[in-house]
Amino acid sequence: MQREVLVTGYELVAPDALDAATLFRHIAEGQSGLRAHPRFEALGFANTAAGFLDAAQWAHIHAATAQLPGITPPQARLAEFVAQGALARAGLVPDDFRDLRAGLFLGANKFCADSRDFAALCPCVDSVELFDLDRLLDEVAPVSHPYARRVDQQTQHLAERLGVADQISTHADACAAGTVAIGSAFRAIARGEIDIALCGAVELMANELPYYMFNSLGALCQAELPAEQQSRPFLRDRAGFVLGEGAALLVLESRQHAERRGAAALGRVLGFSALSEAEKMTSSSRDGGKYLACMRATLDDARCSPADIHHINTHGTSTQANDSCEAKAVLTLFEGQLERLTLTANKSAIGHSLAASGAIEAVLSLMSLSEGLLLPTLNYRAEAAEFPALRFLSAAERAPIHTVLSNSFGFGGVNSSLVLGRA
Amino acid sequence: MAAAPRPVYLLQSALLNAAGDSAEALHGPAPAAQALEFAPERLGFPLAAPRLPAGRFDRKLARSVEAQGLRLLHCAARLGDALDALGLAPERIALTAAIPEVDAPSPGWEAVAAMREQPGHWLAQWFAHTPPLHSLTLLNSSVMAHIAEALACRGPMAGYCGQDSAGLDALAAAMHAVAEHRADAALVVSASPNLTPALFLREAELEDGGVDFRPGEGAAAWLLSAEAPAGRRVRIAGFGRGYVPASAEVESAARDCLARVMNQALGPERLSLGDLAAVYSEPEDVLLGWALGRTPVHGGARPRVGALGASSLLTDLAYALASPEFSTLERTAYLLFLNRSYTGQVAALVLALEPGRTA
Repeated sequence: MQREVLVTGYELVAPDALDAATLFRHIAEGQSGLRAHPRFEALGFANTAAGFLDAAQWAHIHAATAQLPGITPPQARLAEFVAQGALARAGLVPDDFRDLRAGLFLGANKFCADSRDFAALCPCVDSVELFDLDRLLDEVAPVSHPYARRVDQQTQHLAERLGVADQISTHADACAAGTVAIGSAFRAIARGEIDIALCGAVELMANELPYYMFNSLGALCQAELPAEQQSRPFLRDRAGFVLGEGAALLVLESRQHAERRGAAALGRVLGFSALSEAEKMTSSSRDGGKYLACMRATLDDARCSPADIHHINTHGTSTQANDSCEAKAVLTLFEGQLERLTLTANKSAIGHSLAASGAIEAVLSLMSLSEGLLLPTLNYRAEAAEFPALRFLSAAERAPIHTVLSNSFGFGGVNSSLVLGRA
Repeated sequence: MAAAPRPVYLLQSALLNAAGDSAEALHGPAPAAQALEFAPERLGFPLAAPRLPAGRFDRKLARSVEAQGLRLLHCAARLGDALDALGLAPERIALTAAIPEVDAPSPGWEAVAAMREQPGHWLAQWFAHTPPLHSLTLLNSSVMAHIAEALACRGPMAGYCGQDSAGLDALAAAMHAVAEHRADAALVVSASPNLTPALFLREAELEDGGVDFRPGEGAAAWLLSAEAPAGRRVRIAGFGRGYVPASAEVESAARDCLARVMNQALGPERLSLGDLAAVYSEPEDVLLGWALGRTPVHGGARPRVGALGASSLLTDLAYALASPEFSTLERTAYLLFLNRSYTGQVAALVLALEPGRTA
């Protein structure tokens, strides 16, 4: 018998937003978090648009985490800041986790050095191009060096801070990592392995290395448009995604556990699936069949039918291939249901924060469920839509909904979806 | 109504490490540790990047997958025939992975060298001559995608990035997928990190602690199935996971955690330490020693092939199961694998070795 899993806390940091309420309000009001990135401008990039955490946000995060050592990596500091908010929302303090059957599930993909990190290493390469490790170790304190940081550093940091003793995992599933982390926590609680979990993802990849990476694949938008107009999911003239970054963490717990401690439910996790695609590295099956299989498996896991889904938070990256495949999958799975079904694409407002995207979108979906307010897809115009049968909103709309299907489809073919429900 | 969980069996392994590419090689003469190219005063067990096995992968892939990924693909390919023999639909085959870091910092050293050669050009020019899907641009899921495509795995998927414990995370995710009927077989792959200067920065705590840290390069993969093999059967009988915060070392919290992990692993089959035919662990670890009491401990493959990080557990399973001690069985033998990473993750796995059914 599987246990019911509730969401009792969440928080996030996203471009131009230090908390979930601010981001939700910004998107509801049609305000984009995408701007010209100062570092991209300094490097002379043709396209400088990004959804990045700016200096003012970092100053706030540093002030709120001033108790941490100065060498704490930014990813861990951001994780700490968001965790504080999520736990407070759940009526918990970090030490509470020490005495609970608890887990920590974080999505993260790359440490992601930037060119300044590389440049700092150049003097340690000798005249015959061999790397001089001792010279590097002599010049820097190893633990503070960027190369000393691990992909799982923020997991380690939070586990230590919270005293999580039961299960900690770092999920490296590309753009699906945040969703997979939430889904894994959901499964562990549903099975009874743990009672409570902190889950989600942290991603700081709005810098030059990922820019080069994704640009070399032709995935980034290169349209000559203002930054806030470049992410245009599901429009005919979409031209790629805009890099983003951020973090979101959720507190999940079994209903029994939440009720025992008198915690208020903010929502429910009803189903999850993560499937391998085995298609091409950079694109899904053109007919949307693989995305369809993932969504269908998730509905099966949630024991519901397409008729039970009220709203879809799409992966919606604004690339030609992704949006086309996702649209075809939705059109097939929800055939006959499309008139009542609404959809949104949060990346239109904040860009693609890769591992963090699924966790941020899960939080926004839970807020839509609890507030009864559906978020618009920025830049969306029905007359420019490639798939007019899909009802994306160009302005926020009030509607009581009970379920959201939230999709995350990762580079390399990790497809994942969650079904979230109202409390 | 959900179907009841079903047993999950280990069918076949594929290994690659300094001892060779078979489990039997781990029981042969131990390879000597070598001085590392970038740090001659340090010893380890490096491997030459393997050639991709013909047939499963396009050889051109070798240009866009770094050494760690090549080791992983090498192992996965060798399980292809056994996977094919199961005759399953691709949608019923799960793929899980424990991969430390496919991307930076390891291949990042190439970028450092390139910038040293052309300091005025910086990364833009370097990337201009770097093909798409080069190792530096890849994510863990990219290597998984190569495996998924070559071996037609279209079922549940999960990738873990971490240290030794990631191996158990990947194995447990695969086991759950099969046990809960979401898949009928699963491929679990794992790799050690590349031996680069970055590793010694990241493992600085070990260096500072005076531990004789001898890392190795390697990979290990296992094929799991709901279908019991005809001969000796190796069933996953339990597992447990925990985390001992550094602040809890030698405190009661650490012992509580370890006791909980042991209970999780031994509990499903109501086992006690006395029921175990063998325990594979780290004999020098005082905390693990506390949990194991006077139970004799085997050291696993580490002394022979070095610390393999995320691929250590899957390598140790193959090492133990290839032991002549377990080649013939009269009754079920239980093996416990207990590990603690230096950063605090504790992993316990119990295997049940069951005699084959007679006709």
